[in-house]
Amino acid sequence: MRQPATRPPTRRLPWGRLAAGGVVVGLAALLSLALGSRSVPPDEVLRALFASGQDAHTPDAEVVRELRLPRTVLGLMVGAALGMAGVVMQGLTRNPIAEPGILGVSQGAALAVVVGIAFAGAHSLAGYVWFAFAGAGAAAVVVYAVAARGRGGATPVKLALAGAAINALLASVVAGILTTRGAALDEFRFWQVGSLTGRDAEIAGQIWPFLLAGLLLVVAAARGMDALALGDDVARGLGQNVALVRVTGGLGAAVLTGAGVAATGPIAFVGLAVPHLARALVGGAHRWLLPMAALLGPVVLLVSDVVGRLVFPPSEIPAGVMTALVGVPFLIVLVRRSAVTA
Amino acid sequence: MTVTEPRDAPPRRARPAGYGLARRRRASFLLHRRAGVVALILLALLSCACLAALCLGETTVAPDQALRAVFGRPSDAEFVVGVLRLPRLTLALLVGAALGVAGALIQAVARNPLASPDVIGVTHGAAAVTVTAMTYGLTSAAALPYLSVTGGLAAAALVYLFAWRGGLHAGRFVLIGIGIAVALRSVTQLFLTKGDHQIAQQATVWMTGSFNGRGYDQAQPLAWALLALLPAVLWAARAQRAVVLDDDTATALGVRLGRTRLGLATVGVLLAALATGAAGPVDFVALLAPQIARRLTRTAQLPLLCSALAGAVLTVTADVLARTLFAPTELAAGVVTAAVGAPYLLWLIVTHRTGGRA
Repeated sequence: MRQPATRPPTRRLPWGRLAAGGVVVGLAALLSLALGSRSVPPDEVLRALFASGQDAHTPDAEVVRELRLPRTVLGLMVGAALGMAGVVMQGLTRNPIAEPGILGVSQGAALAVVVGIAFAGAHSLAGYVWFAFAGAGAAAVVVYAVAARGRGGATPVKLALAGAAINALLASVVAGILTTRGAALDEFRFWQVGSLTGRDAEIAGQIWPFLLAGLLLVVAAARGMDALALGDDVARGLGQNVALVRVTGGLGAAVLTGAGVAATGPIAFVGLAVPHLARALVGGAHRWLLPMAALLGPVVLLVSDVVGRLVFPPSEIPAGVMTALVGVPFLIVLVRRSAVTA
Repeated sequence: MTVTEPRDAPPRRARPAGYGLARRRRASFLLHRRAGVVALILLALLSCACLAALCLGETTVAPDQALRAVFGRPSDAEFVVGVLRLPRLTLALLVGAALGVAGALIQAVARNPLASPDVIGVTHGAAAVTVTAMTYGLTSAAALPYLSVTGGLAAAALVYLFAWRGGLHAGRFVLIGIGIAVALRSVTQLFLTKGDHQIAQQATVWMTGSFNGRGYDQAQPLAWALLALLPAVLWAARAQRAVVLDDDTATALGVRLGRTRLGLATVGVLLAALATGAAGPVDFVALLAPQIARRLTRTAQLPLLCSALAGAVLTVTADVLARTLFAPTELAAGVVTAAVGAPYLLWLIVTHRTGGRA
């Protein structure tokens, strides 16, 4: 125990809760593999996953392996990325409603992707993921810089308003590009609403290096963010390089968000709700908070995806819509309970 | 008249500084002099913008020919001006004026320039309902305005309901408004993906607020609705004076703040939703117009008439720019206003005295 002072002495290490989180993720993944317009019993799912030869070509196995496995893997990865990005953003800004969707970071990535599709001829994920990073990073910097200026610093209301303004500005630019280029619209409108469907199996293979890079950056900043929670001055007094922590963490969050957005389109509110749930479970120390968020993010995203599949059976509600519909009540409760000092 | 009164003060001066007294037989009312001058200037600007809207475009029309066409005289440009441009201009004027007044009222109630109908979800509510209806094949110009008004009102009611906790805190109002706006935006996108390509294109154009291909069909119901709302707006012009005071002062003066606020907000939301229904969400006009008007007139209240004029100037100019900037392709007017308005909102956040709080 190197830092006994940051933890109340009676508190036990939350390994048990993390393990429980892991089990829940497993269950969510199993649900995501099993449920849909064609339901597959759980034992069949397991058999299909580990089958080889003749067994691997039954209809059930085909559905599980070809259709549901890629989107489940993608959901796991993107959910974890967004959950951690939310934790980092809330930690860096010390602001309970910081979230990629509200802050316009996702919209920044979206605009950059549209520019990539319409002008730079990018049509594959490997092509536009770089645009997404740049867009996410730029939007994050602008929103935070605007909100932090003026009296009172980056209050939740200012941050949300700056995010809304950036959202509106970028959305109008996107709309301007799309109305003048019809072909881009058709490609873009399915991507724009965050969804796990219709993404290639290769996408998961393409984004994992980016997610790993983001993860490393975020982990590197974790200890610094613990100190940052006490305020910039205290953090400096504790020997943290505040600027370095901000840059590392911010870069990590931008990479995670950008990769997630490039893979699935903007999925809102995962980054808002997950950190709060995780904090309620394991407390505010980032070395526990980050893994917990990485476990809860996929749960929220996969469950949203499964529910979206089941509500109107033949057609599907995209996961991004479901997370927004679940997340907004969460935001409202948060604001009403004055967790956010408006 | 008493002897002690200083000589330069006019006798029985009952009016506040900066106001003139307009008197006509037995009727008289106070007129803010500067506001009057500003209104005249804005009117002149508006006329120029309107003339530009009539003359500029794919074919340029000489101003005198355009004016002849407007007043029904024989002219070379009867088709271009009378059929293509005049209806569109009329709609832009009405929408701009309605948005200007709506913005002024809602900002007065929230006592916060940042709480415009675009930010708090009114336009998103209208957009969500309209796109939903379009997806299910309802595209008639007659029905859409009603739907979008319903959507706007419902969204505003939701925001009001959730933000109400023994009182209306402006910060909470804005936060919840933004949250609801995000949720509604995702609903809109959901239905965009459900419809086929053509409907998606149509709905995308609608959602950015375009006057292209719109005209009297939309302008007529809007004009009637605005006319019907005129008494309410006149009441609002008086009532909003009390609302800008702080709560204690207003209560001490015997103003029922809760009801007045609710009334003002309702009128504002109705106007915004009507305008959105007619032309789609023309972003940020409702935010910009009252602020411009107030900065020009330097009054304590948000001047409604000047806001309406400023809104009309903004909208008409935006429409002209949208048509002419990238000449063969036409942008939506809402794209232009958002490109101007969003940076202004950012600037407001940076410089706002109260640090973004009301």
